[in-house]
Amino acid sequence: MSVKNVLAVALGIMSAIGGFVDIGDLVFNTQAGAIFGFQLLWVVVIGVVGIIVYSEMCGRVSAVAKRPVFDLVRERTGFGAGLATLIASEIVNLMTCAAEIGGVAICFQLLSGLPYRLLIPLAVIGLAVCSWVLPFRWLERVFGYLGLGLLVFAVAAIKLHPDWGQVAHGFVPGSHSGGSLMVYLYFVVGLLGAAMTPYEVYFYSSGAVEDRWGLKELRLNQVTSIIGYVLGGFLSFALMIVAGALFLPLGISPQFLGTPALAAEHALGQLGLLLALVGILFAVGGAAIETSFAGGYNMAQFFGWRWGKRERPARASRFTLSWLAIFALALLLVMTGYDPVKLTEFSVIFSVVALPLTYLPILLIANDRAYMGSNVNGKLANVLGGLYFLLILVIAVVAIPLMLLTHGGQG
Amino acid sequence: MNKVIDVDIALSILDHQLVDGDGQNCGKVDDLEIAGLDTDSPEIVEIIVGGNAWRSRGLLGRLAARLSGDAVHVPWPEVDSVTSVVTLKRPAAELRLNRGDERWAALVGKVPGS
Repeated sequence: MSVKNVLAVALGIMSAIGGFVDIGDLVFNTQAGAIFGFQLLWVVVIGVVGIIVYSEMCGRVSAVAKRPVFDLVRERTGFGAGLATLIASEIVNLMTCAAEIGGVAICFQLLSGLPYRLLIPLAVIGLAVCSWVLPFRWLERVFGYLGLGLLVFAVAAIKLHPDWGQVAHGFVPGSHSGGSLMVYLYFVVGLLGAAMTPYEVYFYSSGAVEDRWGLKELRLNQVTSIIGYVLGGFLSFALMIVAGALFLPLGISPQFLGTPALAAEHALGQLGLLLALVGILFAVGGAAIETSFAGGYNMAQFFGWRWGKRERPARASRFTLSWLAIFALALLLVMTGYDPVKLTEFSVIFSVVALPLTYLPILLIANDRAYMGSNVNGKLANVLGGLYFLLILVIAVVAIPLMLLTHGGQG
Repeated sequence: MNKVIDVDIALSILDHQLVDGDGQNCGKVDDLEIAGLDTDSPEIVEIIVGGNAWRSRGLLGRLAARLSGDAVHVPWPEVDSVTSVVTLKRPAAELRLNRGDERWAALVGKVPGS
């Protein structure tokens, strides 16, 4: 790979850290670890393979047909179903953005000691200014690379000396202990939802169009989607292992977003805490930017407006106002003082419901020779794509009932 | 594209992206006006974009139409080509498309760096 291609992998790394490990993964992986130890590690593997399969498809469609996801959602499902998907996805983008902003504010609070409510508007202003000023590539690099501070959790996982036999056992689905079956299933759905959140594919595919991917980038697409999400998956393992090794024996229930960072401090001292907070801050901040842009992309692509970070903001004024509106509404939502952990759980569970209508048009277009020519899905992509589509249909149906039955995993 | 286009093909361009003569996105094919449906050779008269055009697109479309303004009618001879997108011959402004971006540009333009 050329230097240019290596740099372009940054797109995948940001999507992996900011998009894969975001507030949803922090909350669900640490809570799952605190209740079930390592027993749910296998779910992360399934989630990672799923997001790789669909991101690769999205990137390929963007590179070959030059069409981002929401353009296709409208074209393939029609106006009515497309508009319903748009509304659902915008609600999910907004809730997720709000949860991520809450996470940024909590990191600021732990770093500065200033009051949380004061830091929320500062967080939003900081993120909006970054989004406004920095070119697309710099957003990817700054938030992607500083988000790598999360790697401290991989070191913490090793330092905590977990029982590696039990960890290995967690990669095989089987009987469970530590909580009821319903709670176990709720976490299965939540972990899959956190791994396969729809805004990741909206952002990834629009980003590929913004980066003007063509046929030459098909290899790059495979490499970024695989390396990026596998890396993200490792961080998810680390979070669950840390929670399982530290919180479960102590009976700590991580109901506070700063709790995972304390685990890094326990294992690695002050430096561990600092790295963890910086990593969380940029991973969650990057995800906040991705969700606000996903909101702008979806609106513009549904209605056919000019869009993109490359456009001057005033020329693509409706796109610009759309992403700014997501930030503004998310600010209002967080300022209500609603618990960001609860907000995160809702956003992940509702995003699961919006998944099928996001993924189906991708699967259809990736199989359409009129668009894709010889780059249509191969057998592997279709078998996996089909199986995962069935899986998300099932979890979309059971997600909300499970959340209600288990009171959000409380049993 | 002056030749008569098959109505089945025409309907397949519904909801497709419109691109103007400068290569800029300028809306979607929200509805089509077709003449002579009761004859042997029906043909598309115009593409209808935005606003009222959504009225015919189901319950959510009627709601969306109420919240927005008048549709823009683009005569079919303005169409240059139909691929995965519908490309027009002239710039959007000449066809009164993309007025939404122009309307909000003044507001967004007040921010430094826009």
